[in-house]
Amino acid sequence: MKPEDLARSLPPVLAPVLLGVEAFPGFAARVRFRREGALDVFRAIHDLGFTHLAMIGGIDWVDHREVIYTVWSDEARTYLLLSTDVPADDPRVESAVPVWPSANWHEREAWELVGITFDHHPDLRHLLTPDGYAFHPLLRSFKIHEPEELEVKTRHV
Amino acid sequence: MSNATLYSVSYDLVHAVLFAIGSVLPAPLHGWIESDGLVTGLAVLVFGVILLAASMLNTILLIWWERKLLGRFMDRRGAMHVGYAGLLQNFADGFKLFRKDTVRPREADPLGFVTGPTAYMVTSMIMFGILPISSGWNSGALPLSLLLALAVFSFAPLFIFVSAWSSNNKYSLMGGMRSAAQMIAYEVPLLLAVVAVVIVAGSFDLTTIVYEQQNYWFWGPLFVALVVFVAGMLAEMERIPFDLPEAEAELVEGWNTEYGGMLFAFFMLADYLRALVGSILVVLLFLGGWTMPSWVPSVATSFPLAGIVWFMVKTYAVFGVFIWIRASLPRVRTDQLLRVGWNRMIPLSLLSVFLAAALVTVKCLPVFGCVPSPGI
Amino acid sequence: MSEMWLNMGPQHPMTHGLWNLRVHIDGEVIRDVDPEMGYLHRGIEKLSEDRHYNEVVTLMDRTCYVAGLAWEHLYILASEEALHIAPPERAQYLRVLCEEFQRIASHLMWYAAFVQDIGLMTPFLYGMRDRDLILDLFQSYTGARMTYEYMRVGGVRNDVPPGFTDRARQVLDWLEPRFVEYDQLTLGSDIFHKRCDNLGVLRANDCVTQGVTGPMLRSAGLKRDLRKDRPYAVYDQLDFEVALADTADVTGRYLVRLEEMRQSVRILRQVLDWLDRHPGPVMASQLPRWLGAPYAPVGREGYLLKRNYPKGVGFSAVEEPHGEALAYVVNEGGEHPYRVKFRSPVYANIAAARHYLVGYRVADIPPIMGSVDICVGEVDR
Repeated sequence: MKPEDLARSLPPVLAPVLLGVEAFPGFAARVRFRREGALDVFRAIHDLGFTHLAMIGGIDWVDHREVIYTVWSDEARTYLLLSTDVPADDPRVESAVPVWPSANWHEREAWELVGITFDHHPDLRHLLTPDGYAFHPLLRSFKIHEPEELEVKTRHV
Repeated sequence: MSNATLYSVSYDLVHAVLFAIGSVLPAPLHGWIESDGLVTGLAVLVFGVILLAASMLNTILLIWWERKLLGRFMDRRGAMHVGYAGLLQNFADGFKLFRKDTVRPREADPLGFVTGPTAYMVTSMIMFGILPISSGWNSGALPLSLLLALAVFSFAPLFIFVSAWSSNNKYSLMGGMRSAAQMIAYEVPLLLAVVAVVIVAGSFDLTTIVYEQQNYWFWGPLFVALVVFVAGMLAEMERIPFDLPEAEAELVEGWNTEYGGMLFAFFMLADYLRALVGSILVVLLFLGGWTMPSWVPSVATSFPLAGIVWFMVKTYAVFGVFIWIRASLPRVRTDQLLRVGWNRMIPLSLLSVFLAAALVTVKCLPVFGCVPSPGI
Repeated sequence: MSEMWLNMGPQHPMTHGLWNLRVHIDGEVIRDVDPEMGYLHRGIEKLSEDRHYNEVVTLMDRTCYVAGLAWEHLYILASEEALHIAPPERAQYLRVLCEEFQRIASHLMWYAAFVQDIGLMTPFLYGMRDRDLILDLFQSYTGARMTYEYMRVGGVRNDVPPGFTDRARQVLDWLEPRFVEYDQLTLGSDIFHKRCDNLGVLRANDCVTQGVTGPMLRSAGLKRDLRKDRPYAVYDQLDFEVALADTADVTGRYLVRLEEMRQSVRILRQVLDWLDRHPGPVMASQLPRWLGAPYAPVGREGYLLKRNYPKGVGFSAVEEPHGEALAYVVNEGGEHPYRVKFRSPVYANIAAARHYLVGYRVADIPPIMGSVDICVGEVDR
């Protein structure tokens, strides 16, 4: 599947939110989109056969943050990279759980480690870090060589 | 030796010692030392000590036997460093447990937490006193010794449940529930299988049952009963494939999760005591006890203590089969176990009772020979 | 007993690691589950941002401690793409050799732990015994039995010693009849079928929706194996079949893993033959100098920083023993990776726990979770 074919097969109503469909090493293509239309893009990509959401990751570019989604199509036998930029002072994007239920834990992880909030996520709790952990370790501003004073509240079930 | 029992031997021993002492003492002490009450009391004590020592020694040997044989099944050596071939390993382990602190959870019920394992241990040891080991080693004629043994054997779920409940642990409670359900479900086929033996032997006395097997051992004609009995015994002993009350994979040792130190050692020892008693019951009921068939050359059966030696050989062989089963079968699930218990084992045990009744009616079988006495 | 929440873990024999499965039970029937992870979180992705490319390999062994070489392979493939470096062919074959031996070792470890979960103790020791032979092979050329640190950006650290291929063939000859023995010990028993058939069923469409991959997915009949679908290293030159089952239950996962081990043996025989015929270098000749330096001297941290090295992004997908593992490495020109992101297959498989556990019994949790093949190191990272 070539990037041009993919761009053609996406519904035209998405044009305002799509920033580009371009070639990318390792993937069939990279689809960049505005975060406002995230859910529509997810639906359109899902309808193209990319039914398996493999991973969601966040990258901190200091001035902004990038959310990457890796999806796989069993028909095309290829990966697709979805990418959207969110501003560092308001890092939020629509949750992909309605489209890909497997996004649940990946979004929880991206939320706690990179600090990206996923709107309408069903269960945005800490997963890898303790409850009440106030830091987002994968931000560039978090230095591992400087031990922080950590106050961790334990959860009482 | 033929009419002597273990108790009478201890009585004679105490009697001889006390009378030897009494003969050199002045008159008032002389009569007091030789009084019947003192002799009887001391005889009971000696009898108890011998029983205790023998049962403990055998239990520990049984654990060693299981470790070594299981090790061979698993392509490893088992215990091998403490003592010759690891024979002293279990003593070392026991000593370690003895030295350990007994930790009781704060929320546990103190009374039940301690009495549960203790009573479990004590009832298991009582059984050993009931069972005859050879023509000389038995606790005297108890006309209903089989019933008594099985009655004491079925105390266990009660004490397991007491200790499980008082541990105040969810896993323990679930293990205790499973244990109670399983033991009660398998008590019925176990007793029905025993009824088959009783019908053929015509007695509830274990010594009589053994002597009734002089023509042929009961395992052949009562094979169905043997299968039911062994399966029921496996469930009662809580060994794989029926060890789900203490399934370590999901219940973390089940009802003894919270136990450590000597209280855990009580459970461990009592488990193996029960395993020993189970194997002994199989030997007594189905494998001719201490007697050997007539085709065995008399050299092999007439040396001193031959009865005890052959009995132990059979017991350890039976337990070897239990170990073999443990080494090769997975664990079943509670509902499956109970379904097999109620739907398969009970019809099968009823069939064995029917077969036993038929055997008594027919009296003689082509291969095995005749029933020695007419039965009930 | 009424309904209650039961904490299975963090220390529990079922967990095979350090995590907590909170189970809502009604009697012995499971009503709901909620896995709690994070007890083993070491921040490997964060630590990678502060290390040289080759130093991250050390962390990869700690990611999944039973499949360290597969994770090294995953990371190395991605970082080579990010750094625009191509390894020699012999190194690629050696990596496939590592990965397939690691797959067998990991599956043997799984086999041992899984049969233990359903109460079979003998095969546990058989599995561990045979896994040891593979660890001996690893030791002979990586020097370690668990934390190998064998692969490097641009190749592998060293070639296999002389006589290695013959020893490896001996191990394979020993292993093949063992697989039959394993089957006899498990599938030959009615109790095994009673315990495992129709247990933990997760159909193919549910697997896809929940992101479940690896043997769990293939046991549901969906043929997805990255070694075939998106060949990396030299897998497109090797001949093997994708193991499949259609029962989607615990027995199916067992069958798939056993068949995968047989296929791995088949792959390994081809790789060993190739290695015998094609001697050659195992490291790329043209490597940036700064890649070789493990440490920067104190006070001169900046001296190795290369100024004009091209930026890049590396992405790799590896069919790890547990399933689909992905790595995304961002090279921003610094001497450390700017961002490393991993996708652990077990992570997604555990996340779907509610879909294959609810409705079964407490006694079914060990076999079902055992059939998932959990490695907490790679879940928590």
